[in-house]
Amino acid sequence: MLINKEMKMADVIHLNHHLLPIINRFGIQLGFGERTVQEVCKDYAVNLDFFLEIVNTFHDPSYFPLRHLRSFAPGMLIDYLQKTHLYYLKIKLPEIAQYIRQLTTNTDMDPNHVQLLQDFFTSYESELSAHINREEQRVYPYIRTLEKALQTGAVMTDYPASEAYTIHHYEEEHDDVESKLFDLKNIIIKYLPSPVESRLFNIILHELFELEKDLNNHAHIEDLILVPMVEKMEKELIKAKSNQ
Amino acid sequence: MARLNILCIESSFLLREGLKTLLGQMGKPFSMEECDVAVDDLVKVLRKAKPQLVIANPDMLTAIGAFPREMPECDHRIFYTGLVNEQTADKAKARFDFLLPVHADKLSLSRRLEEILTAIFGKTADSETGTLSERELSILKHIALGLTNSDIGEQLFISPHTVMTHRKNITRKLGIKTVSGLTVYAILNKLIKVEELQVSDRHEAQL
Repeated sequence: MLINKEMKMADVIHLNHHLLPIINRFGIQLGFGERTVQEVCKDYAVNLDFFLEIVNTFHDPSYFPLRHLRSFAPGMLIDYLQKTHLYYLKIKLPEIAQYIRQLTTNTDMDPNHVQLLQDFFTSYESELSAHINREEQRVYPYIRTLEKALQTGAVMTDYPASEAYTIHHYEEEHDDVESKLFDLKNIIIKYLPSPVESRLFNIILHELFELEKDLNNHAHIEDLILVPMVEKMEKELIKAKSNQ
Repeated sequence: MARLNILCIESSFLLREGLKTLLGQMGKPFSMEECDVAVDDLVKVLRKAKPQLVIANPDMLTAIGAFPREMPECDHRIFYTGLVNEQTADKAKARFDFLLPVHADKLSLSRRLEEILTAIFGKTADSETGTLSERELSILKHIALGLTNSDIGEQLFISPHTVMTHRKNITRKLGIKTVSGLTVYAILNKLIKVEELQVSDRHEAQL
């Protein structure tokens, strides 16, 4: 079932509570009362169509209105992607790290095992952060420059003649970080001896699954919307340049 | 258990959903990449999806020459299943490894899928149990200590290519893809000691 603007926001959460962090990313908080999606978006000054596309893309991975979503300004999309980055770096990763730290107080777990888990997570954390930083420092500014050049009609003199960063470089980078998260889950599920009191283990695993789902959606949006959007801008700029 | 990656090339939404429902009842974890338009560059699509199994409508692959069974990017063979009906020409059917008649009833469809999955995974039955052979254990140990494929090959008198094949099998059996993940596994299973690792790290730092 797709989410539409007439639905009550409260019903959206009843339908799929995993959407809550996504909705929070738009600055929208709980306490919706009887207000509809449209009304809530208006209250928070959120672009309704963009909101609907993002929540539906997350809610149903097979939903993909490419034509529609690509019609939004790149800047708006980047703003959203940057908010998800902040969510990973400032909220989700520290939260999981905190849970793993709590394992050290668990007396029936081998401290060496906790250390192994902690080290592995730390290295995952730094790889994900490095990947995010690359996007923030290279990819997004590059896209904003393209957008600006197209708006002002200015010709980017260094593009594409110089070895400027083109979007193709970036498509390839997603794999390795994904593998590490995959391994981390399997290590916990299959190989790490669980303490008798496994509540914390379950929480950590649950958080990793949630993070993975969120990251997949994020990569999905980047690969299927952002990349084609930028390729289109690159082509337009090359055309503008050759017309000169 | 390794997850089965499927690429489905079929324009009918109902057929794709129906396939997912049936596959979901087979009890084998899978993920399905869906493509609802005719494909003219199959290699590109395969590179992205890295499927073990392609389930496709023959009419949507008419622009394609031979179906690639092996690809450098994939560590497994790719199998092809054709979604066929009464009108499908024999010539089109012959290109596939397996056929799935779309108008068959549920029971025969499930049986057919079962046969297909067994044909793909049956031969590598031991890979599902996760038990590593002696040779694989020894290679895993070397990987965990941070050695490269050619280092390992030299020490064990096998070619780097053979090391690579073993590595792929280890990854498939254990469900662990990265070197650091394999290292954690090796320590947890007492194949190596943490101290050994620190020594080899220091060794690396000196180089």
